[in-house]
Amino acid sequence: MIELKDISLQLNGKLILDEVSLSIDKGQTHVILGPSGAGKSTILRVILGLLPIDNGQVIIDGREISSLPEKEALQARRQMAVVFQSNALFDSLTVSENTAYFLKDSGLLEKKEIDESVKTVLSFVNLDGTEGLYPDQLSGGMKKRLAVARALVTRPQIILFDEPTTGLDPINSKAVLNLIQRLKSIGTTSVIVTHIINDAIMLGDTLSIIENGKIIESGTIKKILQSQNGFVREFFYEVYQDSSLLNEIQARDE
Amino acid sequence: MNEDESTIKVSFTEKIQKLQDYSLMVADVFRLSPSIGKNRASVLSEMYLIGTQAVFLVLVGGLFTGVILAIETGHNLEKFGATLMISRTVSYGMIRELGPAITGLLLAARTGAKNTSEIGAMQLSEQIDALKAFGLNPVEKLVIPRVFAALIMFLPLTMIADMAGILGGMFITNMTFNIDLAYFWNTAIHILQFKDIFVGAFKPILFSFFIASISCFYGLITRGGTTNLGKNAIHSVVTSSMVVILLDFIFTKVVWEIM
Ligand SMILES: Nc1ncnc2c1ncn2[C@@H]1O[C@H](COP(=O)(O)OP(=O)(O)O)[C@@H](O)[C@H]1O
Ligand SMILES: [Mg+2]
Repeated sequence: MIELKDISLQLNGKLILDEVSLSIDKGQTHVILGPSGAGKSTILRVILGLLPIDNGQVIIDGREISSLPEKEALQARRQMAVVFQSNALFDSLTVSENTAYFLKDSGLLEKKEIDESVKTVLSFVNLDGTEGLYPDQLSGGMKKRLAVARALVTRPQIILFDEPTTGLDPINSKAVLNLIQRLKSIGTTSVIVTHIINDAIMLGDTLSIIENGKIIESGTIKKILQSQNGFVREFFYEVYQDSSLLNEIQARDE
Repeated sequence: MNEDESTIKVSFTEKIQKLQDYSLMVADVFRLSPSIGKNRASVLSEMYLIGTQAVFLVLVGGLFTGVILAIETGHNLEKFGATLMISRTVSYGMIRELGPAITGLLLAARTGAKNTSEIGAMQLSEQIDALKAFGLNPVEKLVIPRVFAALIMFLPLTMIADMAGILGGMFITNMTFNIDLAYFWNTAIHILQFKDIFVGAFKPILFSFFIASISCFYGLITRGGTTNLGKNAIHSVVTSSMVVILLDFIFTKVVWEIM
């Protein structure tokens, strides 16, 4: 469903992505895990077509989209949605206007249907009763959930998350993680970028470990933990020490 | 090549690059302008903002320009016993030159700073990326409504400045030089010909396009952090003010040559 083939990208003469390849099946949750500055957000921007690549292919549903003309690229992006690290909420619009924005713009639905969808989605993310508030009146966790609501409302097949729990307290983080897990039950393909190992282990059906713009290991967490790669061993150091977590991972079926 | 030269060279290339990017954005504005119907709600809200935020400013700006114009020319004309001429000087001056120029400069600051800081903040907080990621074009959603709102609103605002200036000039002339109010008003209005009205009405439309598009452009190219946003707001106001002054000169010159 999503396939990146040998993507390379330079910015200001610096190699940011170095022959990155990934393949994510429909309905799967894939986590891209790595330290900050490794190129994780850049990969999301490439999938979204926000950054032109120097080399390689971005294939969504069998269609190469990185070389499409702008108009068709815009169309192709409509089956994807993204939750940015900064949420990127429209701060001049209320909660319900933010949620409705992309639905309204598509012009395909009646006002009544839009109101219905907005209501359903806001209750899915537990934001009922906040419809008239503005983003700066919301807590960090609520903003994140609103960003998820805005992404969900267009019923995208693919949702991309950039560091969904960074900056949230443990309770809000947990709520967001649960929300992401619930997406699987509605069949959404998710790509999650994070540097938080526990989130990655909890969410990912498959993972890719990235360092310095290069994917150094890919697969299930079970497989990755067997890696002999020095960086992987060091990055997961604490996991190797945590026997109950290791047992839980071993008990997972492939 | 020494360091200074190479810095100059880089900043020159950057300027050319910026001009090219600006032209591409303007081309997009024209190409996507049919979308205006779909985005009319944004146009209306931008028109409302421009109007409410600037009306007092241009009223005061126009009023004092007219008053000063009347006093300055009045004292000179008085030496020749020609104070009856004050009204036509104020009228021509306001309608053709100072009304549009003062309004243009005030709006370059007011509307220009607003557009750049709003769109720039949206760029820094990834709101522009969010639009693009969801398949929307930021030029269509953010730039075109602001350009159209400016195209529609700058002319009435300029007319308000013109009127405030003529009325201000009228009262100060009456008080200072004892010129009859009705006489002043009648000459001020009757001497205006099509050419004067045309020049006075065309300038704000021209200015509005450049002010709105330049300020939106500086917003869109904002990168990095809030320091750059501040810098871009300054660049935006400075550039659009320069463009207003230059266009004002070019337009006046061209019209005098051909009409
Ligand atoms: N516009 C840019 N120009 C130059 N370098 C950039 C730009 N954007 C990001 N980078 C660099 O690319 C690398 C990867 O960035 P990013 O993808 O944001 O990392 P991550 O999301 O993994 O923290 C970083 O070293 C960053 O400094
Ligand atoms: Mg990042």
